[in-house]
Amino acid sequence: MTAIDTAFAVSLLAHAIQAGTPLLLATVGEIYSERSGVLNLGLEGIMIMGALTAFLVSFRTGDIALAIVAAAIVGALLSLIHAFLSITLKANQIVSGLAISIFGLGVSGFLGRPLIGQIATKLQSTPIPLLQDIPVLGPILFSGDVLIYFSVIVSLVLWFVLFRTRFGLNIRSVGENPSMADSLGVNVDLTRYVCVLVGGALGGLGGAYLSIVYTPLWIEGMTAGRGWIAIALTIFAVWNPLGAILGAYLFGGVIALQFRLQAIGIGTETPQLLLMLPYFVTIGTLVLMSSATLRKRVGVPAALGNPYVRGE
Amino acid sequence: MALPSIRFERRLVPDRRLNSAVSISSILLGLGSTVPLFLVAGVDPVAAFQQVFSVFTTTQGVTEAVTRSIPIILIAVGLCLPFKMGFWNIGGEGQLFMGGVAATLMVLMFPDSPSIIIIPLMILFAFLAGGIWGVIPAFLKARLQVNEVLTTLMMNFIAILWVDFLVYGPWRDPQGYGFPLTVMFPLEARLPMIPGIRIHSGLLIAIASAILVYFVLSFSRWGYEIKVAGQSQSAAKYAGMSYILLTLLAMFLSGGFSGLAGMTLVSGIVMRLRHGISPGYGYTAIIVAWLARLNPIGALVAGLLFGGLLVSGDALQIGLGLAFSTVLVFQGLILLFVVGADVITQYRITVSLR
Repeated sequence: MTAIDTAFAVSLLAHAIQAGTPLLLATVGEIYSERSGVLNLGLEGIMIMGALTAFLVSFRTGDIALAIVAAAIVGALLSLIHAFLSITLKANQIVSGLAISIFGLGVSGFLGRPLIGQIATKLQSTPIPLLQDIPVLGPILFSGDVLIYFSVIVSLVLWFVLFRTRFGLNIRSVGENPSMADSLGVNVDLTRYVCVLVGGALGGLGGAYLSIVYTPLWIEGMTAGRGWIAIALTIFAVWNPLGAILGAYLFGGVIALQFRLQAIGIGTETPQLLLMLPYFVTIGTLVLMSSATLRKRVGVPAALGNPYVRGE
Repeated sequence: MALPSIRFERRLVPDRRLNSAVSISSILLGLGSTVPLFLVAGVDPVAAFQQVFSVFTTTQGVTEAVTRSIPIILIAVGLCLPFKMGFWNIGGEGQLFMGGVAATLMVLMFPDSPSIIIIPLMILFAFLAGGIWGVIPAFLKARLQVNEVLTTLMMNFIAILWVDFLVYGPWRDPQGYGFPLTVMFPLEARLPMIPGIRIHSGLLIAIASAILVYFVLSFSRWGYEIKVAGQSQSAAKYAGMSYILLTLLAMFLSGGFSGLAGMTLVSGIVMRLRHGISPGYGYTAIIVAWLARLNPIGALVAGLLFGGLLVSGDALQIGLGLAFSTVLVFQGLILLFVVGADVITQYRITVSLR
């Protein structure tokens, strides 16, 4: 490989990780929600509200840390509505999630209007000393920003919690067989609330990454379906946070590739066909995974989407 | 200590009066809950609601509201079929765009045809195109259990980009000064106005569709099968019905009605194909169908209301300089209240002290 090829590959992979980070955060969050049995289709609305909140706070205060925290809180609050409706009121989770998405897209457009065209403080990258000097790997893996590192660490931690701790076992049992979990003394509703809120906070962070790192601007509807793609990635990941890392970066790669192809002049006349790529890949992935999971029957939380009513 | 215990008992027979009351209160609560948001944004809520309701006080406003409701009603009526089966078609928007494409293709292929030929052709092919776009996710779901919420959504994005591709590329009007638009449709390819009112005849198609689907669902064997399949897939199989075939058929029709909605837009309003012929009619229709509790006649009524809400959005935009997405806030909140209130309509709740 020539030096130019290497440089090209490095920048492509670095872009893939950046593009994959919002997806990773949102996907890992959704995995928690779904593992506990609650399908949260409000992710698109949660992400866009996270994006708006982070940009707004960064624009008003210039405090990037505050912006990130605020985005997580708003994401959690929005998911709290979904949790209340689907857990306490036993509402239809699909419709409730859709309502959250519509609501989030609406509110962000409504409140974000004065922010269009403004510039806010951007999250700077924090290369890791020594590690960043490793050839090829350094610039790809260790020259990112804190949210990139955080997203990987949080995925690893959440994997550990889910599969190696008592609490994780409770989450999985609540998502598999809530009445059994209930009879064993697990608080079904509380467990589900915690998982949905964690999912919402991570979704908010994913949105924040879009508006203060990836495209540091406020653009109405800037999530462009990433919330839905993240929901598809939970299936690809077979509801495993480690699988989410792989899936999110593969998808980030598709997005990065699409930009590269445009940059070298493919599809400049009509970029629409290239822009379809992520959506086609999502459908293709779902088809592949469905046949794979059908055969193996692993992962899918058995009680996903069903409200729990004691004694029913 | 005696703790109050809450019991949820599923209602076996729906209480119709309760359902209507819940729907109406949800609309009022949804609209009302926007007040804090207006206050946060520094907008006088009274002025905002004046704009919202001003639509319903003038002939022009009502005419516009009814016109905007036509595609919503068509899609919502179609959605009653798959939704009754528990198949979540979120793809009305994409199916609408594909219908618009097919209708436009007919005009481009046969530009000199008389109305009597071109209008039925446009209707037929728009229905087919929307239907096929709807059958794809149905097939994937029925055969491979691919999540239909995600596939129908992804196909919306694809359909919208496909329209953009066409109007920026091969279908762009060479005399259009570079704007991304197809040629203007000839008069023959435009839906005629209903005599006496300034509303195009797509309204009649929408009303006829609502009545037709109502009768199919209420009185036909096939409508009965759809309802059974929705309640229990295994019961449907036991009764010898092909769940796969039912899903495909329901989604073909649902997609078809959405395609028809796209046809009424290009042929009745825009008179050409361009970017953004729909401000999200496909999503609004989901709310309408749910609000109507999957009753096509209810969808007709709720559709008219939501058409009005879209016009209110224009009024808020022009009158107060608010973003059009304010309408989405209304819609989202109304849906949140409807779905939350379902706990009352679905369950009988008793609180007792033990």
